[in-house]
Amino acid sequence: MKLTRFETAWAEAEMQAIFPGSSDEGLTDICAMDVRGFITQTMRYMPLQAALGFRVAVWIVALAPLLLLGRLATITGLALPDREKVIARLVANKSYAIRSLVLILKTLGALLYAGDDGVRARMMTSTTPASAPRPLVPLRTKRVHAA
Amino acid sequence: MAHDHDPGFDHDHDHDHAHDAFPDEHLPEGTVVDGETLARDVDEAFDFVVVGSGAAGAVAAHVLAKAGWSVAVVEEGPWVKTREFGERVYDAFKRMFRDSGLQVVEGRSYMPLIQGRCVGGSTVMNSAIAHRTPEDVLDDWAARFGLGESINARTLEPHFDALEQQLHAHAVADDVLGRNNRIFLDQAQADGMPARPMRRYERGCRGSGRCVTGCPNGAKQGMNVSYVPWALALGARLYSSCRVERVVVEGGRATGVIAHTTSHDPEVRERQPRRAVHLRARRGVLVAASTIQTPNVLRRSGLRARAIGEHFQCHPGYGLGGVFDQPVTMSFGATQGAEMTHLRKTERIKLETIAMPPELAAVRIPGIGQELMRRMGSFSNLAVWAVVVRAEAEGTVKPGWGGRDRVRLTLTRADMERTKKGTALLARLMFEAGAREVWPGLYGLPSVMRSIDEVRLIEEVPPDPRLFSMITTHLFGAARMGLDPRASVVGADFQAHEARGLYVVDSSVFPTNLGVNPQHSIMAMSRLAATRIAESASRTSAAA
Repeated sequence: MKLTRFETAWAEAEMQAIFPGSSDEGLTDICAMDVRGFITQTMRYMPLQAALGFRVAVWIVALAPLLLLGRLATITGLALPDREKVIARLVANKSYAIRSLVLILKTLGALLYAGDDGVRARMMTSTTPASAPRPLVPLRTKRVHAA
Repeated sequence: MAHDHDPGFDHDHDHDHAHDAFPDEHLPEGTVVDGETLARDVDEAFDFVVVGSGAAGAVAAHVLAKAGWSVAVVEEGPWVKTREFGERVYDAFKRMFRDSGLQVVEGRSYMPLIQGRCVGGSTVMNSAIAHRTPEDVLDDWAARFGLGESINARTLEPHFDALEQQLHAHAVADDVLGRNNRIFLDQAQADGMPARPMRRYERGCRGSGRCVTGCPNGAKQGMNVSYVPWALALGARLYSSCRVERVVVEGGRATGVIAHTTSHDPEVRERQPRRAVHLRARRGVLVAASTIQTPNVLRRSGLRARAIGEHFQCHPGYGLGGVFDQPVTMSFGATQGAEMTHLRKTERIKLETIAMPPELAAVRIPGIGQELMRRMGSFSNLAVWAVVVRAEAEGTVKPGWGGRDRVRLTLTRADMERTKKGTALLARLMFEAGAREVWPGLYGLPSVMRSIDEVRLIEEVPPDPRLFSMITTHLFGAARMGLDPRASVVGADFQAHEARGLYVVDSSVFPTNLGVNPQHSIMAMSRLAATRIAESASRTSAAA
C-alpha cells in the first residue's frame, strides 16, 4: 500500500508535531530525517491491516483541527504548537480506538527518530550534573591560652 | 561439568571474536538453501522434515541428525548472521520479526505480539532466559490432561540437563549486570523480596544490551548460533526463506511438505519468481512453526480437529519506567538480568527487568512534542521493569487476511487485577529505590508520578485492558496435547490424532501457559519428542 503525496505530507507534519526536536535537549527535529522515504518504505513492509490502521490514523489527525480547535484547516495548516495540542488531545481521547490509532504514529515515528545516530547518542548521554563539590570543612581556630 | 564431545556440538569456547568465526559462519558446503536466491524448483527426500528453526525446530533437528537420520529444516525467514546484526530496531523489525514487528493480538484491546521470523526464530531476539517447567504446572497437565505418564519432571529432567550444559545456562555475571538490573536486585533485597539474577544461555556476554536486535557478539546462545549450525554440521539441510504451505497427508500419513520461496523484502518478492519446494519425508514431519503459525499450517494440511486454534494462551507483560537521579544506562548490561518469581503461584505474576532500546522506550515515554523531548532527554536515567502475567484468558488462532494469522484474546478481569497489583508493586519498588519519577503509562492516570503516595492510584484503576499498553511474547496452546482426540490435537506422543507421522513439537501443544519464560520448556519438550521419535524410527527400521 502507498500513501498519496498529500497523505505523506500530513503524516510528516504529524510526526513532526510528536518529535519536534528541542535545542534545550540537543534533540533534532524529525524533519531533518528522511520522513517521507521512511513512510514509503514502511508502508511496503507493513502488513495490510497495520498499513490501513496507519492510513486511518493519518486521516484522523489530519482532519482533527476542525473538530478539536474549530479551525477550517488540516494538520499541515497549523503552526507546530497547535499541531502538538491536537495530537496530545487525540492521544488522551476517551475512545480507545482513536488513541490507539494515533499511537501508531508515535510508534512508527519513534522507530525513525530514535533510530537516528544523533538522537541515539544524545539519549544515551546522561545530562545529570556532576555532584557539586562538597564545601570545605570550616576549620575552627583553637584558642591557645597562654599558660 | 562434563562436556559433550559429539561432532556437531560446538562446545567449550568463549570466542575471541576478533579472530574466530562465529558459529553461523563457514557452514558445511551445500547445507543451506536460501529461498531468496533459489533459481529452480526443489523436490528432495529426507527421513524427517522439520518445519521451523526456532527453539523447538532447531533442537528437534539436532536430535534427529545426531541419531543419524537425514533431516531438512524449513524456515520462512532469512538467516541474518551475527555480523549483520545492527543496533536499529527498525532494521531488525523489517528483516527478522514477523509482520515487521507489527503483529497484534486482537480483542477488547490490541496487544503487540512479538515473534521472530528468521533462522533461530524468537531465540534471536529474546533474552535467552532458562526456567525449567514448574512442577505444579506439570502436575496440572497430569491431572487435567492425562499426560503424567509421558510428560513429567522425571522424563524432562535429562533434557533440561543436556540443554543447560550445551547452551551454557548460568546466572548473569556480576560484571555485566548493569544498573537497571542492579537497582532492582538491591531494592528487592532491601525489602526482603527474593529477587535473583536471571539464568540465561550465554557464553561470554559483554552486556551490550542488544538482545532485542540480535546479539552482536554471538554470546547469546540463540538457535542461530547453536542447534541450527550444529545440526548442519551433522548433515542436516536448511531451507531458509521458504514458507510452508502445507504438510502433505496421504492415506492418513504425513509424507512431506509443500513450501515456496519467499523473502522478507517486498522488492525481492516482486522481482524473484516464486519457486516450489517439495520436501518428501520418509519417516515423518515435525511441525515447530510456533503457537501462532502451527495451527494454520495444520488447517491448511487438511486437519479438522475442533481443538485446532483453540485454547491459545500467553503471558502478557506491562512495562513501567522510572527516572533516577543517577544514570541507569540501559545500553549496558544484560537486557534482562533480574527477576522475582515468588508470586507466580499465588498471584500468577512474575516481576523482571527489561532494558529497552531507545526506539521502543520512545514509544512508552509519556507525552507529545516538547513534553516528550524533555523526557527523552532523561533516557539515560531511565530504568524499565515489567510485570508478566500468567493470564488465565484463552483465545483463538485462525487464518487472517492475505494468508496471515489472526489471533484473538481478551484478558479477563482477574488478569487485569493481577497486572495492576504487579504494576503497583513495581512502582513502589522504584520509588523506594530512589526514582524521582515513575511513568505508569496508564490511561486516566497522571503520566508522571512523583511520590510513592500516588501509587495507590494504580490500584484504583478499573481492570480494563484498554487502559494498559500491554505486549505479549510467550505463546502457548492452539494445538493442545491430550488423550482425548475431541479436545486436543496431538497425543502424548506428540503425534497428531488425525495423521500418522505428523508431529507437533512446539509450544502450541502445551495444554496451558507456565508462568515462567518458556524457551527452556519448549526446547526440553521438543528434545523429549524428537528423542522418542528417533528411537521409534530406529525400532521400525530395525524391524523392517
